[in-house]
Amino acid sequence: MKQQLVIYGAANDGLRNPAAGVPAVCATLPEEITLAANEECSLVLIVLPESAKPAAGRLAPATPSDPEAAPATTPAELSLRVKLTGRGAAFRFHALCLGTGSDHFSLRTEVEHLCPDASSDQLIRCIAGGNSRLSFDGLIKVHPDAQRTQALQTSNNLLLTDTAKVATAPQLEIYADDVKCSHGATTGSLDEEEQFYMRSRGISLEKARLLQLRSFVHPVLEAVEDEKRREELTSFVAEALSAL
Amino acid sequence: MNTLLEIHDLHATVQGKEILKGLSLTVKEGEVHAIMGPNGAGKSTLGAVLTGKPGYEVTAGSVLFKGRDLLAMSPEERSWAGLFLSFQYPVEIPGVSITNFLKTALSCRRKAIGLPELSPAEFLALRKEKMALVQMKPEFVKRDVNAGFSGGEKKRNEIFQMAMLDPDLSILDETDSGLDVDALRIVAEGVNKLHTPKKASLVITHYQRLLDYIVPDFVHILKDGRIILSEGRELVAEIEEKGYEGF
Repeated sequence: MKQQLVIYGAANDGLRNPAAGVPAVCATLPEEITLAANEECSLVLIVLPESAKPAAGRLAPATPSDPEAAPATTPAELSLRVKLTGRGAAFRFHALCLGTGSDHFSLRTEVEHLCPDASSDQLIRCIAGGNSRLSFDGLIKVHPDAQRTQALQTSNNLLLTDTAKVATAPQLEIYADDVKCSHGATTGSLDEEEQFYMRSRGISLEKARLLQLRSFVHPVLEAVEDEKRREELTSFVAEALSAL
Repeated sequence: MNTLLEIHDLHATVQGKEILKGLSLTVKEGEVHAIMGPNGAGKSTLGAVLTGKPGYEVTAGSVLFKGRDLLAMSPEERSWAGLFLSFQYPVEIPGVSITNFLKTALSCRRKAIGLPELSPAEFLALRKEKMALVQMKPEFVKRDVNAGFSGGEKKRNEIFQMAMLDPDLSILDETDSGLDVDALRIVAEGVNKLHTPKKASLVITHYQRLLDYIVPDFVHILKDGRIILSEGRELVAEIEEKGYEGF
């Protein structure tokens, strides 16, 4: 199964309808995904604040837009349910959520392991600036016969202002005994030591912050398999970051 | 010879604890100074205070760099003025390539001092020239800043950055720590090649090792936040023999 890219807050034809051979960006996040034996799904979700939308036409090349793929404005909440129902099923999820101004956004994932020997891996990174409120709820449920499940979930949050807020609630419900499950959540502000290192090399505070933000989003963008797409998205996101 | 750095009666605290207790030091163009001392003497604090690291508070004294009040400047302004600190523990920045990092640093600096941006060709030529100085392989600069680097690679990257930024005063904080003999030689040779009669270095170290390669004009013993003795390079051997306890 091909990797799916979903971007919200980016009403850009060029991103949605890329050149031949470059994977398309989906308009919306599927609500439910079921993975049977040996099925794999890799999903990259990027939620940009409406105000940080880069100017249209910056990303080449645009083809006539698909009327089905209406510009996705950022919804207040998104949720995704994933069911792993057969051995060897694998789910990979990388998400990046940016908030600024008075943005409110919450993301919920529910990953259910219903069979033995399946794996799931989720990385969710949020950057909250302005007065924004971002939240992530992540439930991993491992059913009694889902032995040898491997389920990972990492939630990293960055607060850019004193008035921004993030809430993260990782939850594990495990009913099988032979599993490898972990979840971790961190919330912090930009690292001063890192900032000082850059400033001591003559990088202005403003640029240092921008490089730090790029470094923070890197693990999500790095997950984009198609190289051309990855480069495009990296510069697209970089532009959104500079508006935070 | 012009004076580059004038530290007068410097007192500094970290988290309320006084670490520097009246340190004075003058560095002129062309000079190499070694600051030696036991752990906890205040060596790294000196480097941190001079470069404006947050969390270090100067409670008394003054520092002039090229006649300007260094302590009133932000860390980036100090860099633009020609000061450089090679970190004892260089920071890893995954997702930011060395090239991107240095392009940003040079562009900020050139903008600040009123110079036009380097063209891509000029940047590449400069990068190539400076990489040769620290015997860096071309693929190195494509890597992310210090991410997953060995100790030796990190220090080599510090000296490479120093070469690119071309500072007038370089502070080398424990640059020899974590280096094997070969890496030490490469790093020290890089530093020596960058030295000119217009530039100066402050080499902070515990050991004689690095000073076998970077030969100092002056050696200062820093103990309990003060310089207790300043002599010529012959002091290095004496320290090696007697230990810091002997002073």
